[in-house]
Amino acid sequence: MSAAAILTKTLSDSRRGLIGWSVGTALVGMVYASTYPSQRENVDSIPEALRQSLNVDGTAAGYLQASVFGIIVPLLAMIYGVTMGARAIAGDEESGQLDLLLAHPITRTQLVLQRFGALVAGALGISALVWLAVLAVRGSAELTSVSPLQFLAQCFNLALLAITFGALAVGVGAAVGRRAVALVVVAIVGVLSYTASTFATQIGADWIAHLSPFHYYIGGEPLRNGFQWGDAAVLVIASAIFVAAGLARFNRRDINS
Amino acid sequence: MENVIELRDLTKTYGTRRGLTGLTLDVVQGEVFGFLGPNGAGKSTTIRLLLDLIRPTAGRATVLGLDPRGDGVQLRRRVGYLAGDFVCDGRQNVRAYLRFLAELRGGVPQTRIDALADRLGLDQSTKIKKLSKGNRQKVGLVQAFMHTPELLILDEPSSGLDPLVQQAFLDMVTEAAAGGQTVFMSSHIMSEVEAVADRVGIIRDGSLVALDTVANLRTGAICDVEITFEASVPVSAFEGLPGVGRLHLDEAGTRLTGQISGPPDAFIKALAHFSVTGLRATEPALDEVFHAYYDGAEAAPRTDSTTLA
Repeated sequence: MSAAAILTKTLSDSRRGLIGWSVGTALVGMVYASTYPSQRENVDSIPEALRQSLNVDGTAAGYLQASVFGIIVPLLAMIYGVTMGARAIAGDEESGQLDLLLAHPITRTQLVLQRFGALVAGALGISALVWLAVLAVRGSAELTSVSPLQFLAQCFNLALLAITFGALAVGVGAAVGRRAVALVVVAIVGVLSYTASTFATQIGADWIAHLSPFHYYIGGEPLRNGFQWGDAAVLVIASAIFVAAGLARFNRRDINS
Repeated sequence: MENVIELRDLTKTYGTRRGLTGLTLDVVQGEVFGFLGPNGAGKSTTIRLLLDLIRPTAGRATVLGLDPRGDGVQLRRRVGYLAGDFVCDGRQNVRAYLRFLAELRGGVPQTRIDALADRLGLDQSTKIKKLSKGNRQKVGLVQAFMHTPELLILDEPSSGLDPLVQQAFLDMVTEAAAGGQTVFMSSHIMSEVEAVADRVGIIRDGSLVALDTVANLRTGAICDVEITFEASVPVSAFEGLPGVGRLHLDEAGTRLTGQISGPPDAFIKALAHFSVTGLRATEPALDEVFHAYYDGAEAAPRTDSTTLA
């Protein structure tokens, strides 16, 4: 088999969705980021407790962490990862197309890795576009206190976050072969981890936050501190574990007809 | 001759349902083997076991001397497969799609793909999504044949094809066998198997109930008879004779129809007591042979088990 036929085909099949989603995510990020000058004054009116839990302060980094990179953009990026991840194996299995691919001289491992590879490429693409979009408004929106490299660090973590949840969806989908199951599991995990990272401090259980991918995505405040290689490594390792665990089951089970 | 497929006590259970119960079967190199059975009998289960899409509960399958599980990649390189419900999807046209599948096999000459597509009347510029059922089946056939595999495994290959294309397909099978390729095809349509198969195996409820050449299956089986008499005869003169069944005498009592299996000797001797004006015996189509195996089944094939197919 030529090295990456399935990876290329997966990307090419999903290119319209990927392009649309990337542009949309980048636009949303850009619009939100450019409201910084008008929103800066409002920060003072937010109650202290909420301000703390949302990590908001009047600085550009604080604002972006709470709004653009706090909720909307990571949510959109994660939706991409999860959709692609659930489709990777479970989607094709339900439609019956897996029989055809696996009747070719490829291993199940190759199939999973190439599908996951396409997801990784897509997530990096979305993040790159988001980076370019916020750079475009960096001057006009008075965000110059955050350097382009710090923006890149945050966008890199954005890709890793999407990849982590995507990997979970790939893993669950490969293990059980049902797209709906993969989507539900990842949605529950997503909500729990978001809640954990946001409210852990308030309920006095900081350790819970360390179980959440969100903590490794934004807890190190890349917009202030630049690349957080330790956090990134945690997300990479978690992704690898999710995919490997799903693959272990996938290699042993029957393909549903 | 070398066995291309060897099944030994191959068993597959799905939870409490039985898919296959100890199937033992050899398919030799260069033959066209017809694998007959109704939906749910275990045909697709057998085929998916050969390709390692599912794993046996017990027993063993060897394909081209290889283990489907351990040597899967090497095995599938040498096999062409058409699934029972062949599906393909994508925004590209047929040409690009077939090129993608060819790429998974390390490349197939475009001229070979074009020749097969032309032969089946498949327009390669159509978008995959817009294909009709019949045309999608043609894509399935092209991808199974295009790399000239040593073994073709075809599950219900002519479903959805119009008679003309079906003939083209049967010619392709015959040519493949002539060129030394082995063909294992399942079907519940007797006529297509009858036309090309050297041997036929009939599967029912997960196990083999008959295995023979097409010619032998016919001779060992029932033959329809119709006899006309000069004068009215009593039906009792023929009832209870060995191998005679389904007797029916018309109202005038001069025309007798029925079926004979095995040697017709006793029947002929009974006929000799009367004045016979006409006798016609017809060799059954494989169809009837097939149905004979199922009519005798204590339990009819379960309709709820179609998912096993």
